[in-house]
Amino acid sequence: MRAIHLANYFVAGCIASSLLGWVASLHPYAFRAVLCLLAAIACAWGLSWLLDFSLSKLLKISVADLQAILISGLAMLLIGLGVFLCS
Amino acid sequence: MQLKLFVLSASSVALWLVPLNMLDKKLDIHKAVQGLSLCAAIACAVSAGNIARELSEQGEIEAIKERAITADVIDEISTSAYISQQQRQQEAEAILNPVEHLERALALTYDEGERSEPIAQKQLAEHEQNCSQNGESERIMQLKAKGWGKAKIILEIWGVTKGGSPKYKAAEAEYKRLMQEGG
Repeated sequence: MRAIHLANYFVAGCIASSLLGWVASLHPYAFRAVLCLLAAIACAWGLSWLLDFSLSKLLKISVADLQAILISGLAMLLIGLGVFLCS
Repeated sequence: MQLKLFVLSASSVALWLVPLNMLDKKLDIHKAVQGLSLCAAIACAVSAGNIARELSEQGEIEAIKERAITADVIDEISTSAYISQQQRQQEAEAILNPVEHLERALALTYDEGERSEPIAQKQLAEHEQNCSQNGESERIMQLKAKGWGKAKIILEIWGVTKGGSPKYKAAEAEYKRLMQEGG
């Protein structure tokens, strides 16, 4: 049941990424805004990898859990945008 | 609950993939439908995730309850086993302790008449002396088996150091007597 719970949240993240792509396709300004947002997310993602020990203490989770969240976040983004671009 | 979970999961995936692949992105109406279906898919996926989380938490609580019940049962069994073992030990001690029996018998004798009191006390003293001598003899045998010398054994049992003192001589004589009795 825990796996289903995690899988559903993962699917929700993928769909959110597709929605981001859909918003980007609405207007050129929206596209730029989404690009800025993606750039900010990429910076935060890289910083999280650099500061993983400090962040894990701050969020009170283990480093392995934090790294799993970061990897699954990247996978959600790639799958969601990939599905949107390939459709 | 599980049926709802599976329906929500399947519908979230369907609402995500089907409109994106089937509808045309160039038409405004289709685009709007795609956006709506994506929002609905996110809602379905999050709801399904919440339901699955609740179910998994309930399962964990049930598992904790089962573990607690099992631990209680084990504790109860071990406690009862410990108590019964103590009872058996007390019974065995009561059977194997002749001094207590003798004391009881003597108490009965004492009740019968005061004349028997000195005899009874003498019997008890003799019995206790025999017991202590047996104990000393056994202790000497044990120490000898360990390879201890005479002086060391006397020091251990009677607490007298080697020398020409009368206490040591008495202890040595007792030691010799016990060794002869022990064979």
